[in-house]
Amino acid sequence: MPQVTSVIAKFFNEYNSKTPKKLKCIDAYLLYILLTGIVQFVYCCLVGTFPFNSFLSGFISCVSCFVLAVCLRLQVNPENKNQFAGISPERGFADFIFAHVVLHLVVMNFIG
Amino acid sequence: MYKFVVLFICMCSVISAEQINQLVINKNVERTIDLTSQLVKITATITLENTGKDTVRNYLIVLEPDTVGNLSYISVKDSLKEDLKLTPSKVEKHEKDVYSVQLKQPLATGRTAGIILEAVFTKGLVPYPNSITQKEKQLVRYFGNHYFYTPYATSKQTTSVTLSSRSVESYTKLKPVSQSDSTLTYGPYSDIPAFSQDRMIVHYENNSPFLTVTRLERLIEISHWGNIAVEENIEILHTGAKLKGPFSRYDYQRDTGSSHHSIKSYRTILPAAAYNIYYRDSNGNISTSQVRTRKDWIELELRPRFPLFGGWRSSYTLGYSVPSYQYLYRKSSTEYVLNMRLLDHVFDDMHVEELETKVVLPVGVTEVQIKTPYEVQRLPDGVTFKYLDQFGRSVIKLRKTNLVEQHIQDLEIVYHWRSGLLLLEPVLLALALYVLFIIVIIYVRLDFSIHKPEHAKKE
Amino acid sequence: MAQAGSKKSQLTKINSKTGINSLIIFVVLLLAWIAGFSSRLFAVIRFESIIHEFDPWFNYRATAYMVKHGFYNFLNWFDERAWYPLGRIVGGTVYPGLMITSGSIHYVLHLLNINVHIRDICVFLAPIFSGLTAISTYFLTKELWSAGAGLFAACFIAIVPGYISRSVAGSYDNEGIAIFALQFTYFLWIKSVKTGSVFWAVAAALSYFYMVSAWGGYVFIINLIPLHVFVLLLMGRFSNRLFTSYTTFYILGLICSMQIPFVGFQPIRTSEHMAASGVFALLFAVATLKYLQTMLSKSEFKSLVIFGGLISAGVVFLTVVGLTYAGYIAPWSGRFYSLWDTGYAKIHIPIIASVSEHQPTTWFSFFFDLHILVATFPAGLWYCIKNVNDERVFVILYALSAVYFAGVMVRLMLTLTPVVCILSGIAFSGLLELFLREDDTPRNEDSDDDEQSPPNNRRLYDKAVAGRVPKMKHEQNKESDGIGPNIRSIVTVVIMLLLMLFAVHCTWVTSNAYSSPSIVLASYGSDGSRQILDDFREAYFWLSQNTADEARVMSWWDYGYQIAGMANRTTLVDNNTWNNSHIALVGKAMSSNESAAYEIMTALDVDYVLVIFGGVIGYSGDDINKFLWMVRIAEGEHPKDIRESDYFTEHGEFRVDAEGAPTLLNSLMYKLSYYRFGELKLDYRTPAGYDRTRNAIIGNKDFQLTYLEEAYTTEHWLVRVYRVKKPDEFNRPRIPVANRVVKSQNFVSKKSTKRKKGTIKNKPVIVKGKRLSKQA
Repeated sequence: MPQVTSVIAKFFNEYNSKTPKKLKCIDAYLLYILLTGIVQFVYCCLVGTFPFNSFLSGFISCVSCFVLAVCLRLQVNPENKNQFAGISPERGFADFIFAHVVLHLVVMNFIG
Repeated sequence: MYKFVVLFICMCSVISAEQINQLVINKNVERTIDLTSQLVKITATITLENTGKDTVRNYLIVLEPDTVGNLSYISVKDSLKEDLKLTPSKVEKHEKDVYSVQLKQPLATGRTAGIILEAVFTKGLVPYPNSITQKEKQLVRYFGNHYFYTPYATSKQTTSVTLSSRSVESYTKLKPVSQSDSTLTYGPYSDIPAFSQDRMIVHYENNSPFLTVTRLERLIEISHWGNIAVEENIEILHTGAKLKGPFSRYDYQRDTGSSHHSIKSYRTILPAAAYNIYYRDSNGNISTSQVRTRKDWIELELRPRFPLFGGWRSSYTLGYSVPSYQYLYRKSSTEYVLNMRLLDHVFDDMHVEELETKVVLPVGVTEVQIKTPYEVQRLPDGVTFKYLDQFGRSVIKLRKTNLVEQHIQDLEIVYHWRSGLLLLEPVLLALALYVLFIIVIIYVRLDFSIHKPEHAKKE
Repeated sequence: MAQAGSKKSQLTKINSKTGINSLIIFVVLLLAWIAGFSSRLFAVIRFESIIHEFDPWFNYRATAYMVKHGFYNFLNWFDERAWYPLGRIVGGTVYPGLMITSGSIHYVLHLLNINVHIRDICVFLAPIFSGLTAISTYFLTKELWSAGAGLFAACFIAIVPGYISRSVAGSYDNEGIAIFALQFTYFLWIKSVKTGSVFWAVAAALSYFYMVSAWGGYVFIINLIPLHVFVLLLMGRFSNRLFTSYTTFYILGLICSMQIPFVGFQPIRTSEHMAASGVFALLFAVATLKYLQTMLSKSEFKSLVIFGGLISAGVVFLTVVGLTYAGYIAPWSGRFYSLWDTGYAKIHIPIIASVSEHQPTTWFSFFFDLHILVATFPAGLWYCIKNVNDERVFVILYALSAVYFAGVMVRLMLTLTPVVCILSGIAFSGLLELFLREDDTPRNEDSDDDEQSPPNNRRLYDKAVAGRVPKMKHEQNKESDGIGPNIRSIVTVVIMLLLMLFAVHCTWVTSNAYSSPSIVLASYGSDGSRQILDDFREAYFWLSQNTADEARVMSWWDYGYQIAGMANRTTLVDNNTWNNSHIALVGKAMSSNESAAYEIMTALDVDYVLVIFGGVIGYSGDDINKFLWMVRIAEGEHPKDIRESDYFTEHGEFRVDAEGAPTLLNSLMYKLSYYRFGELKLDYRTPAGYDRTRNAIIGNKDFQLTYLEEAYTTEHWLVRVYRVKKPDEFNRPRIPVANRVVKSQNFVSKKSTKRKKGTIKNKPVIVKGKRLSKQA
């Protein structure tokens, strides 16, 4: 167990030192989304999933926001530059917005 | 106030309408009642004489009260076979179906004149019994009048009834009467007073097709590119004795005799110049039709999908195109005249219950004038849009009920139209394509990328 | 897009070679489109612009309804004319993509005031979409291999019979547009895997959405793509590109697919979709792991994390299984079971097995539908395996799974056809590159990635391939160096000949096998004249014109859609075979004797019964030949009343002649088919009552129908319609036909009201008693 805590501590140090500021912003956003998703899940566990499509659309929109943000983070991360040839951060962000437009149109439709 | 004036005028006109001139007598009436088809065709050759002192200008024709409403067509000719003018009129006790014939030359005292009356009645033959099995013959009854119904006294008259077959179940026998072959001859009777009636009943076998067009929609579309498209939506009903019991295909196939009350096929006559003929219904093409080209017309043998028995109905669409130069004339630089048939032939001895003719005029016509051969009801004009139309095309709608073959006559439409409008749509199409190409060019030339340097890679 | 792309390159680079290249591509694709379109028009030219077969009639009817009443009314459409007395919620039980597609084309054309009838749009939709399929196949193959292979593939798919069979003009079915959606989704997926772009992944998800709205075969996509990802993971080819593309695609595809009312919550409830979510979770786990790896780079903790990952994967799996048992996730549906176990359907679901297109594929039909492609596509597959990379893994998996499915079910030949075209395109392109190009070696191998594959067992496999590739290349080079121009030209000519043979075969198959509307039959006389047998439409039109509007027609389910579409009458069962017990009830009515059937028919308010009888013209697809399936389906639900063995002779034969089983000879279907047929002499050589389809003289000739009467029989006896009598009609004593003439109207009505009691007392009581005793 102390091993684990030390690993975590090291991880935090690494993270703080290595990660650029932009990515930290995204990480904060990710954390927020994650919390929202957890809250929704807990809520549905406590109250029930009665309008199932509403719950699903809320929860899936959370998951997909998370996924899209992760994708954005991956694309923006300068370390992954060689993997995403041809995708600049700006392009990545434009894609992100496009995906969100699509996503939220669908969610609007689905939420009922 | 205004209403009262109108009413007064009406009453005056009624009163002043017609007086029966008792001094005119029918010297001789020869009447033929043709019952060979589903229609009742009455032809009466009347010799009339003026026994009074004044010259007579008009002759009145009054129809029997029980045939009111069944009259489809009436015409009067003089002895030279020229049409005489017929105007609806009124006399005492007869509110409807009174016609006043204007004689060509006023009839002086003591003179005689001959006129020929032709009238076609529908629904005059009633199947009796009204439902029969597949194997039985179709029997019908005709209810008529032994005497010629007229407001004048008649000196002498004969009536011959032509039937479709020799087998007659029964007929009323007002002597002298004789039957030879398929003709019954009544008379001669003499000195019959005016308005005399005596019921004549003929019950006989009639296997001619009892086919009624319950609704006929005729659509004429004019295109100044040189083509007039005609489409007829036709609903037909077998109005003979209803089929009772089962329909057996086996019996039907064995029974090859031609005179059967069911209807296998019929002939439609189209104009000689018709092309692109199609015959279809809501389920697609009906493959059982034959086109025969005659010298002056095209004969189309139409077979409905199934043989029609009494009470069975069917519907189909028949369409064709004709070159416009035969029907569309240019009167002046912008004025055009269209001469098309208001109703066309569907089958011999046809009976059309309801006709609606629609004429689609080209885009942008003005000052439309319509001349119909007989009185029709004009419905409010419609608007329709065809290929890439910007402004609609006006549609003229005409409606009439109870028509027969004699109503196949020309409709004349005069309108103004500028020929430049013909080019409007091709130009529009070209413009649209042009704009499309321009947009593509602009799209290609412009750079929509967010990040300049990355542009090459994004491709 | 092709246009824009080609123009773009034309303009930006003044280099004329690229311009010519894109011009060639454009022209070839255009020609492929035109060729594909026109070769699908045989049916329209020979017959007319008409909807074919069975299912398309429903699609057409639904489309017409949508065009007439609007989209929202369509979604809420409750069709009371089907499945009487149950009705059918159409909006919730169809894939609306097809109707929406043609409905929107109709809408756009009418905005431009081009008054095209919706039927014509429906008829020509599939041929038009075949062109789009060709183009998307081109793009897909281009992404997989090269533009040349893409052009080959596009040309193949434009004319290959396996695809034409489902997309001739008039065959207005889901598959017609679904294959386009399938290919396009795959193209976008490959594109997104290659670039890692969210944009392409979103596009793939949207295209997948279209596919879901169009065809139930979308399940193939949602299992194949995760399989691709999974195999890539196993091969150690994980990359962030894969992560972005799959996660985006999956989550958007998931929520999009749930928008279709028919699909509903299935994507999270049924097992068919679970693989995708499992891979989604797995991918997340792997990505987290990788991320931690980059941050920590310490092997001890990595193992710890792997351990954690394994535990979580196990938990996920267990939850899925647990939920399945708890009933939250539906187990696999019957049709999918029949995919794994070909014998399953035959035993458990006769209704699925009774459909001919659900039968296993024969070798003959492989060759018939694909011709030389069936021989060349393994070559293409081999090329792909040899030069494997991320996207080629996909096409390999696609090919293998499609081959399997096509072998199981004839119908799924359709999913095999595109991949066969792609791989054959690759094969031909590879061959021709070898034999036509003289200046430089094929440059197919340039797309190798420089990423390092992680050390695991799979590397050995990679190595083996990698070791083999250069060898083959050497061989090839040697060969191509060794062969002179003569050999080259001979090989080229042979290839050309093969391709020509293929084209000829395709045209022949299309014109002979796949271009019959099946509702209009054509027969050829001895002098070559063609005679059209239009009996189906004759009967349907008769029904539509001469029966009451609310009349209910009982027929076997094959004809349900056609009756609804062409006759516009209420049917009891139709081709949407959702209610097995209802179908079994109809099957029971058809296979019981007349009086028992009458009980069922009155219970179901049947007014007319329609049977298909091919005995006069020798039409083999008639109801007597399908009769055993009716019996089987009825037996499944009513084992007490109907036993299949009763319908066979003692020797186990199914015979309609005098030696046939008495149960068969007295069944309703038999009687309705052969009513008065015993009197009919077809020609001078054969005796009366000779059935041409089964080549036998029928066994039960002179019988009368008590409860039904012949209402209509078409010209060639193909369709026979009977009217079910009302109870008061057959309780009256039978009056000879000749005596009926004299009766007047009054007389009849008197009888039916006052004297009815008396007649019942006299004669019919015996009849009734008989009937009752039979029942007991």
